[in-house]
Amino acid sequence: MGTVRVIHVSERRRTLTFWERTYLLEVFRGLVLTARHFFVNLWRHSLWLVGVKSGPPGAATFQYPEVRRPQSPRLRTLHRLAKRPDGTPRCVACMMCETVCPAFCIKIVAEEVDDSSIEKRPKSFDIDIGRCVFCGFCVEACPEDAIRMDTGITEIGALSRDGMVLNIETLLSLPPKSERGDKPVDFLQQQLVQ
Amino acid sequence: MNAGLEIGVAVGKTIFIIMFALSLGGLLTWVERKQSAVMQDRIGANRASILGLRVWGLFHIIADAVKMFTKEDFVPNTPHKFIHAIAPVLSIFFALLSFAVIPFGSSIVIAGHSIGLQVADVNVGILFIFAMMSVAVYGVVLAGWSSNNNYALLGGIRATAQMISYEITFGLTLVGVILIFQTLSMQEIVRAQGGLLFGFLPRWGVFLQPLGLLLFMTAAIAETKRIPFDIPEGESEIIGFFVEYSSMKFGMFMFADFIEQILVAAMVTTFFFGGWQVPYLGDTGFAFPWGTTWDLNTWMVESLRVAAFVVKVSFFCWLQMLIRWTLPRFRFDQLMNLGWKVLLPLSLANTLATAVIVLWVGR
Amino acid sequence: MPKLTIDDRTIEVPAGTTVIQAAEKLGIYIPRYCYHPGLSIAGSCRMCLVEVEKAPKLQIACYTFVTDGMVVRTTTEKVTIARQAILEFLLANHPLDCPVCDQAGECKLQEFYMQFGQYDSTLLENKLKKHKAMPIGPHIMLDSERCILCSRCVRFVDEVTKTHELGIFNRGDHSELLPVKGVTVDNAYSGCLADVCPVGALTDRDFRFKVRVWYLDKTESVCHGCARGCNIEIHSNRRRTHHNDGRLIARLKPRFNGEVNHHWMCDTGRYSYKSIESDDRLVQPLVRLTGKGQEKSDWTLALAQIDEQVTHQVGRSGVAAAAVIATPALSNEELWAARGLFLQGMKIEKIAHRCTPDPNGVEDSLLRKTDTFPNSFGANLIIGQPHTADPTVDTILEAAAAGKIKTMFVIGGGLLERYSTDLLREKLRNVETLIAIQTHRSVLTEMATVALPMTSFAEMDGSICNFEGRVQRYNQAMPPVGQSRPLLDTLADLANRWELKTAPRQPENCFAELAQNAGYFAGLSYETLGDGGVNPSRRSATAATT
Repeated sequence: MGTVRVIHVSERRRTLTFWERTYLLEVFRGLVLTARHFFVNLWRHSLWLVGVKSGPPGAATFQYPEVRRPQSPRLRTLHRLAKRPDGTPRCVACMMCETVCPAFCIKIVAEEVDDSSIEKRPKSFDIDIGRCVFCGFCVEACPEDAIRMDTGITEIGALSRDGMVLNIETLLSLPPKSERGDKPVDFLQQQLVQ
Repeated sequence: MNAGLEIGVAVGKTIFIIMFALSLGGLLTWVERKQSAVMQDRIGANRASILGLRVWGLFHIIADAVKMFTKEDFVPNTPHKFIHAIAPVLSIFFALLSFAVIPFGSSIVIAGHSIGLQVADVNVGILFIFAMMSVAVYGVVLAGWSSNNNYALLGGIRATAQMISYEITFGLTLVGVILIFQTLSMQEIVRAQGGLLFGFLPRWGVFLQPLGLLLFMTAAIAETKRIPFDIPEGESEIIGFFVEYSSMKFGMFMFADFIEQILVAAMVTTFFFGGWQVPYLGDTGFAFPWGTTWDLNTWMVESLRVAAFVVKVSFFCWLQMLIRWTLPRFRFDQLMNLGWKVLLPLSLANTLATAVIVLWVGR
Repeated sequence: MPKLTIDDRTIEVPAGTTVIQAAEKLGIYIPRYCYHPGLSIAGSCRMCLVEVEKAPKLQIACYTFVTDGMVVRTTTEKVTIARQAILEFLLANHPLDCPVCDQAGECKLQEFYMQFGQYDSTLLENKLKKHKAMPIGPHIMLDSERCILCSRCVRFVDEVTKTHELGIFNRGDHSELLPVKGVTVDNAYSGCLADVCPVGALTDRDFRFKVRVWYLDKTESVCHGCARGCNIEIHSNRRRTHHNDGRLIARLKPRFNGEVNHHWMCDTGRYSYKSIESDDRLVQPLVRLTGKGQEKSDWTLALAQIDEQVTHQVGRSGVAAAAVIATPALSNEELWAARGLFLQGMKIEKIAHRCTPDPNGVEDSLLRKTDTFPNSFGANLIIGQPHTADPTVDTILEAAAAGKIKTMFVIGGGLLERYSTDLLREKLRNVETLIAIQTHRSVLTEMATVALPMTSFAEMDGSICNFEGRVQRYNQAMPPVGQSRPLLDTLADLANRWELKTAPRQPENCFAELAQNAGYFAGLSYETLGDGGVNPSRRSATAATT
């Protein structure tokens, strides 16, 4: 943690020198800068092309989908519903996530259970991924740690709007990234069939 | 030379220059994407493949063409459907027409006939180019007006204002060139740049008219409506005169843009960088200032000259791309200020100074 | 009268006022659990502790009577620390199962903890386990763990209903609220227990897990269950319709009105909302075309059919063979519009509203009335009084059975509770053109030539008069169910077709017209009625005395 530098807005706009104001010199400096990038990168690309791959690459691009960016462990990805040890959902349908959701994409219907230590559980739990903004508020709000966004799934697609609505069975079936590793889920396939 | 042969030769030259402009234009669509990518530490388009072959995204040219031709040709609800259809044609037609007077080589002798390497050696070539470039504005204006869309109209009006403002500078800077070389013929201007200055410097326009080159380049980029002068388009604000165009009609506008870019490169080459001239290369071979000579036959010389022309044009295309991907867009008032308050007085001063010097030296 | 200072503000209140009431008059809200204005004072929760000058310790505001020159402070550090400590005690055995608790969102524990919470728990002991999710009656669910032993509920069953079903048993922190052994809490006002409970110990079984309370919109209304006209709030969930099986109205809550129902309402009224969105609502017009059975139809066709059939039938059999039943389930405005159209417009003399009494009507000393029509008083004023003939529903049904009535309009509900289906079928057999404007499907809509759906009281604005003549307003809480339309619109459309004078379509304007023409309502408007209503008969009585 360094010292905090305070920038006053009035100071941010400094007066330009004469040469800066003529614009021409600055244009040339800009052109030199971009041209340097051009030639340096061209040189690096050429080296890689002829097989010399020891130097730095000419571009910062990840060649998705062959190469994927490493995911931060904090990355908010597709939701899943956590389970209790006995396999039932942890969710108690308290509607915190539904309430906090700024996109109104969570729809829960509650039902009663006979077990007085649980009392309430979700009858249905739908997340409309087509509307979700991946803000993670639902995870923050959850008092039971039941909804999590740690599946590592970022590719979500369906052929219809209805296909974008994930029901409770799907959400419960998704494993966390830590369990799944890099193994792909057949999630996309399932959705496309719908 | 009989008339039939003459027509045949003219058609041949026309085909050559049009093929040259079109294929270079097509290539530029790829260059634009690729060069910008390399400049910005990216990779750029590289996905189009034929049989798994990607060749650095070159097939994107074909993919783009196929896409352009097969997309829905959407025509807006406008009472001027014909004008709407003709506008992109005007744009690209007049851009291509200007190439008629660009000399891409000196002349070759085939079977005793001397053939000038220029489609038409008009003795008022410069004026012809100006005429064509002025008419090309109509394509843009009519597109904006006939689209029945406020944004398109705004783009068209902006284009008109911009092109009228910068055409004056555009013309005035060339007055200096005309004064020095004392001719309006493009071929003559190139030939006049063949000599040497102070015994070692090629007698190119750039050394005689350095300020003229700067002004000309600026005005020329403004004429072609490319960044930083792309206010008629202004994707982030109004999208521009072609907002209501789709499919190949839009493609034609885009292509006209690249053709004009090549045209500007060709004009800069012709007026300021000796056209097809290669330094120290005369009709019979190289004659270097330190006395060495290197004899070449006519074919070799002409090949070198055409190659030099192509290389120079390619370089200036690259340079324009570099400018386009470096500078941000002007605001409209800045554009007008620059045009009327900076470039116009400077070009007037340049003309005056040139005239005085030409008179003084000539006497 | 004693004059005291609370938080540096001085107020003069009658002797015998408690500090908590005096503070309320100043707009100072003192946190409380056990104190309820409708019950006796227990002073058991200690939440309302305030600092009284010259008193050695903090005093409970609910049971400290004001004295002249008293100086009370409610926001000092001492008070805040005391509240913190009280909350810590109250929460010592609280299960903190807010996620599954229906009270969450309107729970006083949550609210005060947000204000005065200690946040960092110092408790090391395990919480005590008590009974959870225990149904103690048809309407009430008990969760002893959540109970803070404020005894509001015990006092309610002791003092208000006098049924004594509940008690606090055992001692110390094993104290537990439980029903008396072998007794179910099934008194006629048991729903109020969920209202008086400040926490989630007593919750409504009917409302259980239906909707979270913060999704509910509150609309001020009047109960239509009987002639009492209890002031209520309709809690409707209009924005998240996937809850509660798509039903919008989640519950009814009593609204305080010192002149009518105080803090309470009966269970019959509380759960009467279910009929509003029940499956047997008439949701679209039904038309019986000549030679065909009854078919579902649309409004344009249905109104055209009424126009045609009634004109034809009245033209053939005469106005004397036409009758209208407009039940007192209708609002004043609707009755006024019906009177305007049928009596003054079409000159139908036989307009009836009086029925035989509802056999299910119960009366007790608290709230319930035998007359289960909400607006008998208003109907008597508007339909009955100015018209001397004033037939009853019974005489009209008899006349119909005798074949003297060929055209009949039956408007408004409540008949099915009083007359059996078979009886109505028998009596109405000879009516050739029966127009039923009803909220629910019944034998009436089944037999009708044209049946039109109308809105219930939750779907429109209106006013009714309770048994003592108090005029009270209710407001629209939800959009009309299905294709049903307000009766005022339907009547105005019919009047337009027959080129008769129409009553205003807006209930407020209609009431204004009523106030101009009917003496009882003179000078009243929706604005002067306000939230609590006005009783013109009492007003005239006071006017006479002054």
